[in-house]
Amino acid sequence: MHNVAMKSKDVTLLEILDRVLEKGVVISGDAVISVAGVDLIYLGLKVLLSSVETMEKLRGSPFISPMQEAN
Amino acid sequence: MKLYLYGIIDSSDQIKESIYGLEEGSNVYNIPFCDIGAVVSEISQPIQGVTKGAVLVHEIVVEKLMEQFTVLPVRFQTIINGRDSLLSMMQSYYKDFKDNLARLHNKLEFGIKVIWPADKVKANIIKVLKKDEQKTIESDNSPNKRFIEEKFEEYKISKEFEAKADKFIKIIDIFFGKFAAEKKLEKLKTENLLLDAVYLVEKDKQKDFKEALEHIKNANYPGFKYLFSGPWPAYNFVVLSKKPGLLTDSEQNLFSLTK
Repeated sequence: MHNVAMKSKDVTLLEILDRVLEKGVVISGDAVISVAGVDLIYLGLKVLLSSVETMEKLRGSPFISPMQEAN
Repeated sequence: MKLYLYGIIDSSDQIKESIYGLEEGSNVYNIPFCDIGAVVSEISQPIQGVTKGAVLVHEIVVEKLMEQFTVLPVRFQTIINGRDSLLSMMQSYYKDFKDNLARLHNKLEFGIKVIWPADKVKANIIKVLKKDEQKTIESDNSPNKRFIEEKFEEYKISKEFEAKADKFIKIIDIFFGKFAAEKKLEKLKTENLLLDAVYLVEKDKQKDFKEALEHIKNANYPGFKYLFSGPWPAYNFVVLSKKPGLLTDSEQNLFSLTK
């Protein structure tokens, strides 16, 4: 699994989820048809979705992983 | 064909290494725009929900890009409606992307979570406050006064708890902050999670930064636990202002060439 596994055992899925699902560039505009699995078509393509996180939460946590200590 | 977007990179060159995308059999490639690029793979159908596998593939692609380029990681499941739409998006965000790529060049993100023994800290605060109270004159025992005193007590505990948190965060930040170009610190997301921090660190300082963790562990704060992760692409440090995407003449020429 390349770097994800190589990084160290300490890196948890939770840390990855926190970044991949909640952080990073969010692009708005007509070009984008989906962000974080939320279909934008029904929400108006010109609207910037600031509520992706909220919608994800409403969908429920997909999976939960316990945090591990660094040591 | 719809395009799944993984990240924006500081290169218009093709990716030499073969990287598999989210959809089975799909390859990851770079769509150049002026001197930067959007890294995508083709996608024929919507991704069904958020799965562990899909999240990991996204992260692996971004991390592989990070090995060769400065990368602005894009939010999971960002799908663009074809190549023309992507180029149009790149045009409107070009300045923003360029600014961020320049700022984040040669830098990595590290995460640090510090868990402290909140119960013990609170118990200690209460103990000290009780001691102080004994020194003060005994108050009368009317219910109203007792209620006000209790509320005031809670307030004092909470204030002292926050003050202690601030003090420890300051100490922890002394260890890590000196090696960081930028940082984001969140205090007491929960009572036990004293600090949730992300630091942006220059590549050549990452060794020092990692050593700082060892130093703070040796500082011997009983009951403190440290969760360290990284290096990550700079997920937490991309700042888009969506500036007007006006291009200079030379950039406009480049754009017409890439189209």
